Amino acid sequence: MSSWQKYPWIALVAARSNLAYWGDVASRFIFLGVVLYIFLRLWQVTYAQMGAAELGGFTLAQMLWYLVITESITLSGPRVAQAVDEDVRTGVLSVQLVRPMSYPLFRLSTTMGERLVRFVMNLLVGSVVALVFVGPIKLEGAGCLIFLLSVPAAFILDFLTNFSIGLGAFWLEDTSGLLLIYSRLTMILGGMLLPLELFPDWLQPVLKALPFSSVIYGPAHLLVHPDWSAWADLAIRQLSFILVLSLFVAFLYRTALKRVFSNGG
Amino acid sequence: MSNAVKVEKLAKVFEFNKGRGFSKTRVETTAVDRISFEVPEGQSLAFIGPNGAGKSTTIKMLTGILRPTSGEAEVLSLVPWRQRNKLSRLIGAVFGQRSQLWYHLPPRDTFELLSRIYELDRSQYLRRSDMLIERFALASFLDTPVRKLSLGQRMRAEVAASLLHQPRIVFLDEPTIGLDVVARQELRDVIREWNREEGVTIFLTSHDAGDIESVSRRVIVINHGRIVLDDKISNMRRRYLSSKVLNIKFHDEHSEVAVNGVTVLKSTGYALKLEVDCQVVGMEEVLHHVVNAGSVADITIEDPPLEEVIAHIYGQAGSSEAAENVEVS
Amino acid sequence: MFKKLASYLALAVTYVKLNFLSQLEYRGAFLSQVVAMFVNDSVWVVFWVLFFTRFPALRGWNVSDVITIWALAASGFGLAHGICGNALQLASLIARGQLDVWMLYPRALLSHLLVGRMSATAWGDALFGYVVYLVMVRPDCPHLLLFVLLSLSTAVLFVGFSVLSGSLSFYLGNSEGVTEQWNFSLITFSTYPATLFEGWVKLLLFTLIPAGFVSYLPVEALRQLSLPHAAAALGGSVMVLVAGVSVFYHGLGRYESGNLMEMRG
Repeated sequence: MSSWQKYPWIALVAARSNLAYWGDVASRFIFLGVVLYIFLRLWQVTYAQMGAAELGGFTLAQMLWYLVITESITLSGPRVAQAVDEDVRTGVLSVQLVRPMSYPLFRLSTTMGERLVRFVMNLLVGSVVALVFVGPIKLEGAGCLIFLLSVPAAFILDFLTNFSIGLGAFWLEDTSGLLLIYSRLTMILGGMLLPLELFPDWLQPVLKALPFSSVIYGPAHLLVHPDWSAWADLAIRQLSFILVLSLFVAFLYRTALKRVFSNGG
Repeated sequence: MSNAVKVEKLAKVFEFNKGRGFSKTRVETTAVDRISFEVPEGQSLAFIGPNGAGKSTTIKMLTGILRPTSGEAEVLSLVPWRQRNKLSRLIGAVFGQRSQLWYHLPPRDTFELLSRIYELDRSQYLRRSDMLIERFALASFLDTPVRKLSLGQRMRAEVAASLLHQPRIVFLDEPTIGLDVVARQELRDVIREWNREEGVTIFLTSHDAGDIESVSRRVIVINHGRIVLDDKISNMRRRYLSSKVLNIKFHDEHSEVAVNGVTVLKSTGYALKLEVDCQVVGMEEVLHHVVNAGSVADITIEDPPLEEVIAHIYGQAGSSEAAENVEVS
Repeated sequence: MFKKLASYLALAVTYVKLNFLSQLEYRGAFLSQVVAMFVNDSVWVVFWVLFFTRFPALRGWNVSDVITIWALAASGFGLAHGICGNALQLASLIARGQLDVWMLYPRALLSHLLVGRMSATAWGDALFGYVVYLVMVRPDCPHLLLFVLLSLSTAVLFVGFSVLSGSLSFYLGNSEGVTEQWNFSLITFSTYPATLFEGWVKLLLFTLIPAGFVSYLPVEALRQLSLPHAAAALGGSVMVLVAGVSVFYHGLGRYESGNLMEMRG
């Protein structure tokens, strides 16, 4: 097996082991059902009050579908940072080093495998809920395609930040606080709760320039409002963030490894 | 002397569902099968048996955690499952696997907390804790967080903590598990001393024969929910010594000993080690053969280790016949 | 009676103190978690502020009413689990047979068990609740007093509800999953204005998911400075607590008879 083929294979194994938990699906139904129902009521009341068919360019149905996507992306995140943190603290990381594979790539593969499965499951459950509440929205084949293209890049981007936070265990007593802060910033600044169009006008360009929106708002918006140039725009942004963060992770990882070799883990 | 524990025909039957859906059936298992025994106050008792024999179920009933299916029990004249709260002030418990001590805090903090849980009188508590600190030699690490203590120190503090409220019975469940040889012996010594000097009744469960031998005077062996042996430790040894180990040294070269029921464990020029099955051949006859084999310089007769005795009893208890034999004899 | 109560209060104080000392052994981790929880809660307040800058009112409730809900839910939840930290662990404690240890103490089982542990991050919630109320709602003295009272009432509700949902383990074997989802539903509904809901959902909010005692009655009490509303909120909380305690002790009978799935002698 060539040295690169093992990573997709690791991803496949991770994905399959995740599929074993079908009991999870039931609790996802409750979770997404409750959250989406509350948002449905919130927006129903708001649309009625404003007497508007569209707010920020979204119809009520589009708004709910937008939220299905953002919730699905957010909730699909596996516990990468915690896993890396634990590997650092328990010394598993130094054991991994003697294996013939790259630890970051190993983590990336398992994360992608797990996350794609969980994302699809969330999406299915969320779609059922949305269909019941507001019915379907008009989708275009091309829109779906560019949406699907944008999702893996979003996941890689999110992985890089989580991985860096996990590596923080080399220097920090605890990384869970940092992780919570990052994930909450993603929720609000990434547009999970509210599409960026509904933020104050002066804030919108700033938020679009931040990496958070490339993880959540970007893909979700593409599905509801498909647009090739918006996709190109997003793709360029995602790729440049991935590039910058990869360099950062590489730097962080090297520095951390120096610590392992000088202190023996 | 009054009884600390009195148990009569105590039984516990668990009911649970087996299988799922349509194949679900109600299954009953008898964990404790009408056992009876008494423990006089101040006695040190080892209560042993293989896993799943009914040991912990019995202890749970005696501490009031579980209600029995039938039968009666009195602990310090209280019915445990009816007067649990009252009883809890009179008993102490150490579970080797489950610590009372707060992991990140020094033992002193846990002591303080326990004094409040048991609503101990302040001056009495201080006197009591000083005494325990001295006897269990805790002074040097009393203000060190528990996570930094050795396992031996931790267990000493653990046992001391369970004695703070002056319990009259202490239940010790696997107290020496995981300890090294020295720490183990230290802990046994201090428990035995406490039992002898303070008159505290000790109810010990352990898989370690050494614990049983050095702490207890009496042993109750339970298996399949029944008492298969209830006797003094010394008697148990004697009764179950179906075999002895003979070490013989000779003045010069000896000839071989070949008797039915005797296994030669080791044979060198001047020495011989034999295992004798006393049920097959009498000791007198064996000795006779030994003396004929050469000029004897020295001879020792050893009992097999307690572990083997216990293993033997467990093995026997597999058949109910054996259990009855023991009860009759 | 009074002496008994005082003794339990003293015990609760001792436990909180020891728990704090325990946490302070890793003060970096503790502080970062408390701060993170603060940030987490702030994200939601930011969401509501953004929402209300775009849309002026929600069925007559304005931004400070909604912030009040968050302040109340956070401070109530924080107090509940900062003091009764074992409340959310109940299901797993029961299922794993870990009540045994607590039954050997000469104290009322449930109260002793509940205060036996503290959730560190809950203090971040409590702090957030009071700070955000003071800073963003700027109450006068009567409002502040009423708010403190209502946060206590909310805490009673959360403790009572956790006991109720956790006690399901007595009947279902390991109910961790169901318990978690049920608690999640209460918490989620408690943080959105109850005015959004109508009909049978509204009924649900005063029965199975008693969030109305957090997100409706107390807010009305504060809006109108109305003691009857406050009394109703408190009454509801106490009822939930009574229900929880009754179910717990009823279930305990099953535990004592050893007929739980996972208890083996």
